[in-house]
Amino acid sequence: MAEVTTKQAARGKFRIRHRGRGAQVGIYLGKLLRMFIYQNDWKVLPMAALIAALVGMVVHRRFFINMEGTLMGSFAIVCVCIWNGCFNSIQVICRERDVIKREHRSGMHISSYICAHMIYQALLCLGQTLVTLYVTSIVGVQYPKEGIVFSTFSLDFAISLFLITYASDMLSLWISALAHSTTAAMTIMPFVLIFQLVFSGGMLTLPDWTKPLTQFTVSNPGLKVIAAQADTNHRPYATIASMVNRMRDNEIGGTVTVGQVIDLLEDTSNPTVSELRETEVTEGMKLGELIDAAAVSPAVLEERDHEITVKATVGQVLDLLGEDRVKAFLEEKAALANYNADYARTAPHVVGYWAHLITFVFLFALLAMITLEFIDKDKR
Amino acid sequence: MEEFFNALCRFFLNSDSLFDMVLSALYIAGLWGLFRKSGVKSWWALIPGARDYQLARCAGREPEGRIFSLTGAASAIANLVLGLLSADVLTNEYVDESEIIMLLVILVLSFVRFIYNIRVWNGMCEVYGRRKRWLFLVALPETQWIPALLWGYSPKYQPQWQVEDIRAEMARLATSGSAEVMDEGLTVNLKERTVTDFFQKKTLLRDIHMSIPQGHMVLLLGGSGAGKTTYLNAINGYEKADAEVILNGANVYTQYKKMQYEVGFVPQTEMMRGKDTVLNTLLDAARLRLPKDVSAKQRRERVDEVMDIFGLKPAKNTLVEKLSGGQKKRLSISIEFISNPSLFILDEPDSGLDGVMARELFVQLRKIADTGKIVIVITHTPDRVIDLFDDVIVLAKDSARTGRLAWYGSVEDARRFFGREKMEEIVKCVNSKGEGGDGLADEFVMKYAEVQHG
Repeated sequence: MAEVTTKQAARGKFRIRHRGRGAQVGIYLGKLLRMFIYQNDWKVLPMAALIAALVGMVVHRRFFINMEGTLMGSFAIVCVCIWNGCFNSIQVICRERDVIKREHRSGMHISSYICAHMIYQALLCLGQTLVTLYVTSIVGVQYPKEGIVFSTFSLDFAISLFLITYASDMLSLWISALAHSTTAAMTIMPFVLIFQLVFSGGMLTLPDWTKPLTQFTVSNPGLKVIAAQADTNHRPYATIASMVNRMRDNEIGGTVTVGQVIDLLEDTSNPTVSELRETEVTEGMKLGELIDAAAVSPAVLEERDHEITVKATVGQVLDLLGEDRVKAFLEEKAALANYNADYARTAPHVVGYWAHLITFVFLFALLAMITLEFIDKDKR
Repeated sequence: MEEFFNALCRFFLNSDSLFDMVLSALYIAGLWGLFRKSGVKSWWALIPGARDYQLARCAGREPEGRIFSLTGAASAIANLVLGLLSADVLTNEYVDESEIIMLLVILVLSFVRFIYNIRVWNGMCEVYGRRKRWLFLVALPETQWIPALLWGYSPKYQPQWQVEDIRAEMARLATSGSAEVMDEGLTVNLKERTVTDFFQKKTLLRDIHMSIPQGHMVLLLGGSGAGKTTYLNAINGYEKADAEVILNGANVYTQYKKMQYEVGFVPQTEMMRGKDTVLNTLLDAARLRLPKDVSAKQRRERVDEVMDIFGLKPAKNTLVEKLSGGQKKRLSISIEFISNPSLFILDEPDSGLDGVMARELFVQLRKIADTGKIVIVITHTPDRVIDLFDDVIVLAKDSARTGRLAWYGSVEDARRFFGREKMEEIVKCVNSKGEGGDGLADEFVMKYAEVQHG
């Protein structure tokens, strides 16, 4: 220490330079990495695996298969990411508020402290993202192969998961800086989570005046980017098909004229009718020829306006018109009706949502920094 | 025009129905009388929000009064807004979303006010020596005017104490003077340290002037609330006061950033990360506090040196949370001592330590002072270590509730000045009667001012 004092004297008593912001980031990052081992922060990784496994097992059957399953799966994945991110950092600042106060008094730069947290939390979120991706694929989620922005889907998807987790993490970091105790932070947390889920803008129909609030949630761009990457718009709308199946035994009936029946049976543009017309009634005579002959017979012409009452089940009609064709038609129309421009599978859309999430990351980190700058104003 | 008039009625009287307005007016009239009896200006009763705070002051419930008055003001504004939105929202067939939100806001505010109203009037019952059954009347807006009018105007109901006139007391106990600045050592010329609390300026410390030479170990004494920690924070520049603090010729306030490491402040509680080891805690403290050009080897040497001084070497690889109370205290001191400060301030370093360990700690502090540093220590058990101190500072809370200097000088002179042998007896004599003391603070403050400045 004698040498230190000599240097101090040589430089003039109070003209000593201490470590700047950059060097302090290193000090605090080292501290946080040690905490990863000693403070049991490592537990967030197995926790993330457990959550991903639970959610993956529930959603994998319909995720990336049909529209509703994909939308539901996207929402579930976003919830996993927000949950992971929020619980990574909700207590990290408030639990050592007294220590921060003391260190701030001793020359610690708040910006260095927050930057160290940003780097450390980014590493944690990255770990959680990789764990989530790996575990969900193990439990059976079938991810597509081709990406939109990059060549592989996994890379695109990992970036989205990471940004959602990281933005939520920074939001919690800010709350942790605002709260003066862990109890206060954990009291605020459920409100933040509910706000994120309700105002994601994708799952619940919101009143018009609340819609601008969705712009302030991480879940909104999060859900949009996952839904876009999963090509939700072009997945079949499966609810219609299952509804039709459930209605097979329902009876339907109505009154038609003989003429309407004849016209239907003469409609060769209908593939099912065409197929039916090819059926041989007797050797050398097809049903179509019989219908054509009947259609021009005077007896039938005379009876064209005669009404007959038809009674059948939905199943019988489907069999008549071709069940697969009807379902395909209905799914296509329903998917078109549910088309959401926000979920368009295009690179500009995805990159735009990433930019939105990155903005959140830096905004929340900045807010945490500004909030913590006032730590000296805490009441004793 | 009628809507605007109704809105104003809602703002000032919380209602636009004639019956409710009359009740509100009666309540306000009652408050007028209550304020007069308690020594508060009566016209506060006319101002929504502010009247709630003044009522809380009369009841000796100032902390509750803040929320009570804020919700009162917010409630008045919400009523005004609602009045402007709709003349009579409850009878309208169609109520839009903004009106529903305002109604919800008013509902929540009313509930909070209901709770705080009871808390404040609970205090009033104590001040007027009345039974708590009066709270049933106060709880309802329809009946709260009854106790207000009765207590406000009946000679039978009198408060047991009045709201103090702090300004008059402060003027009565004013002193003046200053300490001569020393080239070597610490000079403090503190005019006042104030805080603004709920729009009110409060003086925490006033007229403290002293010069402490290098190498002195100083005991800081005072009852609870006398401003000891506030004074230490003012000295080290952490909470700036209207003061001039000169350490070895340099102004601590104007050169705070440069002098940060010249002042070591050890807080009352151990503010350290429990999950880090002793060695890493000290190495990080060294990296943060020592100059940039100190090499890693020098830092490590300094850390080893400090661990030797405070006997922490055997525990260097132990997690901080696993240390004993004494070891934690020593580690907390070591963190500040790493930068070798000229002024070393410790806030109750012996709390939680037994007599032997506390004595050992103070002996170490004495050794630090003997190297030419100034050591200022707060302790609540001064008599077991008083032989180690050179000087004593006595802070006392005067009748204006401000921390004042009742003595600074040698330990022996302090005994003569106060006419008491033990330091704890000195604290007792300047403590207020409400705190079990002799209530002689004003007397000794004025006496010391005469001794110091003539």
